Amino acid sequence: MSGVSAVRISIESACEKQVQEVGLDGSETYLQPLSMSQNLARLAQRIDFSQGSGSEEDEPGPGGRDWTSPGDAEDEEGLVKFQPSLWPWDSVRNSLRSALTETCVLYDVLGILKDKKFMTLDPVVQDPPPPKQNPQFLQLISKKKSLAGAAQILLKGAERLSKSVAENQENKRQRDFNSELLRLRQHWKLRKVGDKILGDLSYRSAGSLFPHHGTFEVIKNTDIDLDKKIPEDYCPLDVQIPSDLEGSAYIKVSIQKQAPDIGDLGTVNLFKRPLPKSKPGAPHWQTKLEAAQNVLLCKEIFAQLSREAVQIKSQIPHIVVKNQIISQPFPGLQLSISLCHSSNDKKSQKSASDRQSPEDHLYVLEHNLHQLIREFHKQTLSSTVMPHPASAPFGHKRMKLAGPQAFDKNDINSLQSNEGLLEKIIKQAKHIFLRRRTAQTIDSLASCIEDPQIQAHWSNINDVYESSVKVLITSQGYEQICKSIQLQLNIGVEQIRVVHRDGRVITLSHQEQELQDFLLSQMSQHQVHAVQQLAKVMGWHVLSFSNHVGLGPVESIGNASAITVASPNGDYAISVRNGPESGSKVLVELPRSQCKDLPKSDVLQDGKWNHLRGPFKEVQWNKMEGRNFVYKMELLMAALTPCY
Amino acid sequence: MEAPPVTMMPVTGGTINMMEYLLQGSVLDQSLESLLHRLRGLCDNMEPETFLDHEMVFLLKGQQASPFVLRARRSMDKTGMPWHLRYLGQPEIGDKNRHALVRNCVDIATSENLTDFLVEMGFRMDHEFVAKGHVFRKGIMKIVVYKIFRILMPGNTESIEPLSLSYLVELSVVAPAGQDMVSDDMRNFAEQLKPLVHLEKIDPKRLM
Repeated sequence: MSGVSAVRISIESACEKQVQEVGLDGSETYLQPLSMSQNLARLAQRIDFSQGSGSEEDEPGPGGRDWTSPGDAEDEEGLVKFQPSLWPWDSVRNSLRSALTETCVLYDVLGILKDKKFMTLDPVVQDPPPPKQNPQFLQLISKKKSLAGAAQILLKGAERLSKSVAENQENKRQRDFNSELLRLRQHWKLRKVGDKILGDLSYRSAGSLFPHHGTFEVIKNTDIDLDKKIPEDYCPLDVQIPSDLEGSAYIKVSIQKQAPDIGDLGTVNLFKRPLPKSKPGAPHWQTKLEAAQNVLLCKEIFAQLSREAVQIKSQIPHIVVKNQIISQPFPGLQLSISLCHSSNDKKSQKSASDRQSPEDHLYVLEHNLHQLIREFHKQTLSSTVMPHPASAPFGHKRMKLAGPQAFDKNDINSLQSNEGLLEKIIKQAKHIFLRRRTAQTIDSLASCIEDPQIQAHWSNINDVYESSVKVLITSQGYEQICKSIQLQLNIGVEQIRVVHRDGRVITLSHQEQELQDFLLSQMSQHQVHAVQQLAKVMGWHVLSFSNHVGLGPVESIGNASAITVASPNGDYAISVRNGPESGSKVLVELPRSQCKDLPKSDVLQDGKWNHLRGPFKEVQWNKMEGRNFVYKMELLMAALTPCY
Repeated sequence: MEAPPVTMMPVTGGTINMMEYLLQGSVLDQSLESLLHRLRGLCDNMEPETFLDHEMVFLLKGQQASPFVLRARRSMDKTGMPWHLRYLGQPEIGDKNRHALVRNCVDIATSENLTDFLVEMGFRMDHEFVAKGHVFRKGIMKIVVYKIFRILMPGNTESIEPLSLSYLVELSVVAPAGQDMVSDDMRNFAEQLKPLVHLEKIDPKRLM
């Protein structure tokens, strides 16, 4: 049954059926009045198309409904129920019939339509679909729209946020710059010139008279690329230093023994010195500025030295070549002061490493040069005192007193003469060299001469122009009894003053040979002194003693010294002659009685003459037992002392 | 310019022919501290110093209408300093291009028997006063801020009383003649002291 109706429905225009169904639905108020064509179709249905007359009464009302609405199915069902009993093909017939009807109607309609006089075909109103699809579609659209709106708001917010973050960072950086500037201001002199901030590197406020302007510029380093990662050592403040103060510099002082080739002059090379690591916590501009200031100070020192080198008249003129000042403090000795400035270019670094070695540096003098220039600064700063009375002009107090106190020329000269940097440093270099050479001389003597031992006690604290050393000459094992030679060597700038234990003062020049000879002669004297001391301990008697013997071979260094000691009972005597060059000679005098080979004299018949002293015999000293001279002497004395 | 009666030769050359460039102003006692503070900041980095000076002005009346004036000054708080004898010429105001008063000046350090010597020469002491204040220095510029005290009993510098309730401020440079450039530096420095004190070239003749 349903299949039948379904067939019908499908043929019937969907619109009509649906409309009625909708109308029943209730919720849809849509009930469209029939359009003209629909009306006509309906009317055309009413017109009898079928041959069967019986159906005419039945069909008009329910027939229309029958096509249109399945709601009136009961009538049809009745029909259907009834018909099958009549004829099994009845339903088929009915269907075919109604199909024919439809086709005819369609045909007519199409015929009428063709004329376009009474009927036209309008596109079916499209309203019905929207109400059905719209909610979903609209929902979709509205959802999409609202989502888009929300997204837009979010985007806007995000944009604003990122902008404010960027602004914040910018502000922060600005703040950082200002705080950095504040920190910079605490350490360096700054001033504003136009729209630039300039700083002062120079030591002018400390009293320097160096004409270099020494200004650096403070640069704001805030406009960096936001997208890129900020480097770790980023600093919003940067400094620009003058190009001639870049890199690192130092003053090199060295003393060379031999004069270098004239071709080497002025070509002192740098050895690379690593840039000082910035102190943790210190901003990088601080190290940069300190390095630049150091360069400036080194330049000032060198400029001052070269000016003095040209001005000062010395016997051997100082030579200033390029970055080197050469002076000769002692003959055959050369003091070179050079300014080494390594800018960061490759060339200077390359030539640096290969030739110079850092050994010949005199760091003490380099340090002292820095100290001297600072003293010089201080002097210029403090030399001009405020005038009193206040109306008086500025100037030195002593100079002002020169008139009222009637200074003579010498007084005024003494006011003006002040030693320059170069003179002071040369003096210091001389002293250092002299000290070093003295130490070398003493050490070499101590190492090559074993018998009298030589000890040097250097004082730890020295003046820059004077230091002292105490030299002890002793014999091993007899330190307690042989303390005769104690020398105090005061090493000055040009000479060495030797103070003996007994107060004698000897002045030696800077020549090392003098000191060496002096020490050799002292050592030779020591041996004789040691014998004297030993004799006292052993109970021997000193018969004669002389530091400077006028007899015997002439020594090339100093004089020989001699001593004669007699045994306690007077039988034996030992005579020692010791010269710095000739060495020691020991003679023993035997009693006459023990000399077998003495020719019998006719004169001395009496036995008492046997107590007269006999001749001296030389001891083969190098064949004596004992590790040193004094020990041998002790053994000899012991052998010659009779046991009672 | 008046001619000194002692020698008729004009002083030229050397350090003799020096000129003093001068700007003057004054501050009330209560604003002294702020001025000193400013000066400490502006001037050279030296210990600020005070001074206490006794000045005597000597006159020698000759044939000329105007007497010859010499100023003898000694420090009362620092011992061992020489006396200071000063000759000051007639001040020149000059035109607008020069920003400071200029006068000839001769400075001589002397021994302490200066007054006897001057009296012997025929000078007569006109007046004396005590100046007490602070002295600053910036380069070649000297800045003195001081108060003038009247001496109640002649010759006794212990009994003094202040002349006014204000301090005199002087900015001076002693330079060889013809170096008017220094007055520009002085003007710049004076600008930096405004508004604490207005330093101007004051013509003493107008005040009389």
